[in-house]
Amino acid sequence: MFRKLYLAYGMLILGGTGFAQYHGWSLDRISQLKNVPKSVRDNPGSYRSVYGFYHHYTGGK
Amino acid sequence: MTQPVSNCPNCGAKIVFQWSSSVQTVCQYCKSILVRTDVDLKKVGQVADLPPDSSPIQLNTEGIYRNKSFVVIGRILYEYDEGGWNEWHITMNDGASAWLSDAQNEFAVSFASNTPGLPSATQINVGQQYTWNNQRYTLTVITPAHYRGVEGELPFEYWDKTEVTFADLRSETGRFATLDFSDEQPSLYLGEFVEFDDLKLKNLRSFEGW
Amino acid sequence: MSAGTPPLTNPPNPQAKALNCPQCGAAIILRAMGHAETVVCESCHSILDAKDPNLQILQKFEAIIGVDRPLIPLGSRGKLRGTDYEVIGFQRRGIVVEGISYYWHEYVLFNPYKATRYLTEYNGHWNDISVCKELPQTGFASANYLGEIYKHFQTAEANTNFVLGEFPWQVRVGEHATVTEYVKPPRVLSSEKTANEVTWSIGEYMYGADIWRSFSLPGAPPAAVGVYENQPSPVHENVKGIWAAFAAFAVLLLVLLAGFDLVSGKGTAFESSYRLDVGEPKGEASFVTQVFPLEGRTSNVEVTTTANVDNSWIYLNYALINNETEQAWDFGREVSYYHGYDSDGSWSEGSRNNTVIIPSVPAGNYYLRIEPEVDPKHPPILYTVQVKRNVPVMGFFGIAFLALLIPAIAITWRSLSFERMRWAESDHPPIKIGSSED
Repeated sequence: MFRKLYLAYGMLILGGTGFAQYHGWSLDRISQLKNVPKSVRDNPGSYRSVYGFYHHYTGGK
Repeated sequence: MTQPVSNCPNCGAKIVFQWSSSVQTVCQYCKSILVRTDVDLKKVGQVADLPPDSSPIQLNTEGIYRNKSFVVIGRILYEYDEGGWNEWHITMNDGASAWLSDAQNEFAVSFASNTPGLPSATQINVGQQYTWNNQRYTLTVITPAHYRGVEGELPFEYWDKTEVTFADLRSETGRFATLDFSDEQPSLYLGEFVEFDDLKLKNLRSFEGW
Repeated sequence: MSAGTPPLTNPPNPQAKALNCPQCGAAIILRAMGHAETVVCESCHSILDAKDPNLQILQKFEAIIGVDRPLIPLGSRGKLRGTDYEVIGFQRRGIVVEGISYYWHEYVLFNPYKATRYLTEYNGHWNDISVCKELPQTGFASANYLGEIYKHFQTAEANTNFVLGEFPWQVRVGEHATVTEYVKPPRVLSSEKTANEVTWSIGEYMYGADIWRSFSLPGAPPAAVGVYENQPSPVHENVKGIWAAFAAFAVLLLVLLAGFDLVSGKGTAFESSYRLDVGEPKGEASFVTQVFPLEGRTSNVEVTTTANVDNSWIYLNYALINNETEQAWDFGREVSYYHGYDSDGSWSEGSRNNTVIIPSVPAGNYYLRIEPEVDPKHPPILYTVQVKRNVPVMGFFGIAFLALLIPAIAITWRSLSFERMRWAESDHPPIKIGSSED
């Protein structure tokens, strides 16, 4: 009984992994924006990023 | 067979007690409560009851051993301090004489063997090993026993009531041997354990309720 | 027939008397036998004389057998392995191990045409036992019976302290034997040794529910407590199987990974290097790259930033923008690398490159809008941006691997725990981890 459960579970895992990979999923969370006008190419500064803040490492150890 | 049967003292109908020392039962017909008066209450809980002689084999029972048919022609009932067993004397269809032992329905067929150099009764110990006919046997039981009774035809004429030592031996392959110290010279019987069903026994004793 | 032999007699018939009311003669209906101090006749309501000898027999008997009532009543019939048996005897035996007494019960099963069988019961664990016809071979802490190896479990002196009914030999209270048991679950091989006899038996574990069904007993069997010596492990059979399945799945996972790696877009979709000079007057830091195609079905996009940072950092605010559909994927990445020496030796922190994978990007023409930022005091940094299409996400495969591994580990752990519990009761208990044994 355990064997069948594990086999089904394993197929699910493999299937899920294949599905995720095939559809181009990723583990990183990326924000999406719409309606970015073509004018950004001429004026890159006009693009408004969703990032409201930076966080960065400034120190040593 | 192990459930004692009697008659109701009130109405005479058959009454059965559930087990060997059970003291109470109810008559199915007149519903009287019946009490057994011949059970030794001092023994209940302390000593087991001996089963009544309940071998399914009887004189003239027929069977097959190693493709040879045989018939039961005699019996010795042995008794020792804690119980008993049966040795049924059988003749094979080729005339050979053999023994079918029945110890609480554990069956073995063995034949007398003319092996020299057998140990004496004082030399044997449980755990010793002997090799006869290229088979290694280990001694498993030493039993002082005596006759309780005989029936039918036996290959000897005289029997003795005194206590005699028997030794059982077994092998790793299901073979069975007995050393019989009844006479001055010990006798050896070699054989094997058999399953009840393999003997294809006919004309067995019948048991009520089985 | 020889002269002088006694005839073979049958055992004497039992003697029975009826228990009747001495007043009215009616048969007594006894209910709570043994509990009632007085017995009353239901017909005429007279109280029975407690000195009635028949009544005394019944009450004395109840007192004796009330000590340890057999769970399967004597006289019960049941079917075991296709054969009918009747319970004719019962005994309680005990052993003493390290000062503690353990008791178990044995039942004798009878059939006129079959060899006697025995049922044993201990703490709700049952065994179906019969005498061996073949002698086992004993070795050091093991025994070989019919080609199977049994491991030594326990040797102890067993004493009978209560016996009812019939036994093939006349068991008495006080009878004792040296019992040695070897196990190969679900079977147990045991030898009973006295001065004049050694008997070997083979037993197979049985569940209480099956016993109750065989003998049609009312109520429920006693719950099984702990793990018994030959109790079959619920998971042991699965351990080998599950690791075999795991190995197969791990190989398949590898094949899947290799497969995706093979069909992934080889080569880079876009790559370019840049230089960031902070000293330049502050103008518009952001810029856009050339347009490049991303091909194939909707799949992921990997953006790798590599910078020659040395004890400093660079931060890039990225946007991957579709030139036609006006969709953008917005993300920021930091590349930082620090290193030095201290009292413990050399250390380093961070990395000179950073990778991110953008999910579900449809095919089309894209460009990157990049806005870099650095520590103002820092010398110029050279960095490279590389874009790849349809890469395998190692994280998924790592998660899948762990997900496959965890049940195998869990089942193995359960099996090991069960076996520890089994052997804890034996002459060879497993050593406790982290404590000292005396």
